[in-house]
Amino acid sequence: MYRTLRLCSNGGGFEAIPDPPRRLDLARVRSALETEGIRVVDARVMLIAGADPEVTISQNGRLLFKTSDSAAADRAFARFLPVVESATRSEH
Amino acid sequence: MSRGVMLMSGGIDSPVAMHYLLRQGHELLAVHLDNRPFTDDSPLSKVVDHLTVLRERYHQPIPLYVLPHGPTQITLMRETDRHVGCVLCRRFMWRSAEKIAQREGATFLVTGEALGQVASQTLSNMRNATASVSLPIVRPLIGFDKSEIEAVAKSIGTYEISTRPGICCQAVPDKPATRSNLVQILREEERIDVDQMIDDCVRKAVIL
Repeated sequence: MYRTLRLCSNGGGFEAIPDPPRRLDLARVRSALETEGIRVVDARVMLIAGADPEVTISQNGRLLFKTSDSAAADRAFARFLPVVESATRSEH
Repeated sequence: MSRGVMLMSGGIDSPVAMHYLLRQGHELLAVHLDNRPFTDDSPLSKVVDHLTVLRERYHQPIPLYVLPHGPTQITLMRETDRHVGCVLCRRFMWRSAEKIAQREGATFLVTGEALGQVASQTLSNMRNATASVSLPIVRPLIGFDKSEIEAVAKSIGTYEISTRPGICCQAVPDKPATRSNLVQILREEERIDVDQMIDDCVRKAVIL
């Protein structure tokens, strides 16, 4: 579902876009993240999760890692990806 | 000269607008609505650095009021129509700035808006956003195009600060309304406790 992590347009963070595009059930994602002990702020159309770096999870599936450190973004991506994908799989 | 409150975003435009009024000898206070967690730390650090440049250039203290705007954004996202989110957000910014102005004896508000630059800066959106306040609003850059603003920003030394990497506002909806309707805006605001939200925001202001 997610293939690459790339620098976002303003260069302040890294983003992962789902391919093919899909809409996330944020309630499921939130539940999965909290089960993993990750703190989540639910803004209805997006979740703001974790810290160091903070990650924004949008309804359209976009993940935004708020760090300019690519290694930190890679680590967070590796941590978040299985959680988000497991929540997505459980939708079926 | 009179005293005004300037809304500072960290972008290219607001320090240029401030430069024009400081050059005329007005006394300004700066207000920054801190949009974390919908942005990162960069807008605040840019505003701090813009003010360092402008304080030195114009020998004015220019106090900076930093107001927490993230909780307001969360409530707006949860409770109101996302299409008009940018106008609702701007109305909160203006009201918060007006509260600070009233507290500090300022008689006008200033913004770096230029007509048509982004979704919130169409004529109808600007009118509906500012219908929330009663102090006069000064827009020194209203008829400027972006290249003119950038040229001035480079000449006063704020351009490099504004264009440092940062996270764009994540609260901007996918399809923001470019022509909003004040009746709809007021209806959306009936869903939330506007006065309480403004009071909470202003009460938590930090002065830098």
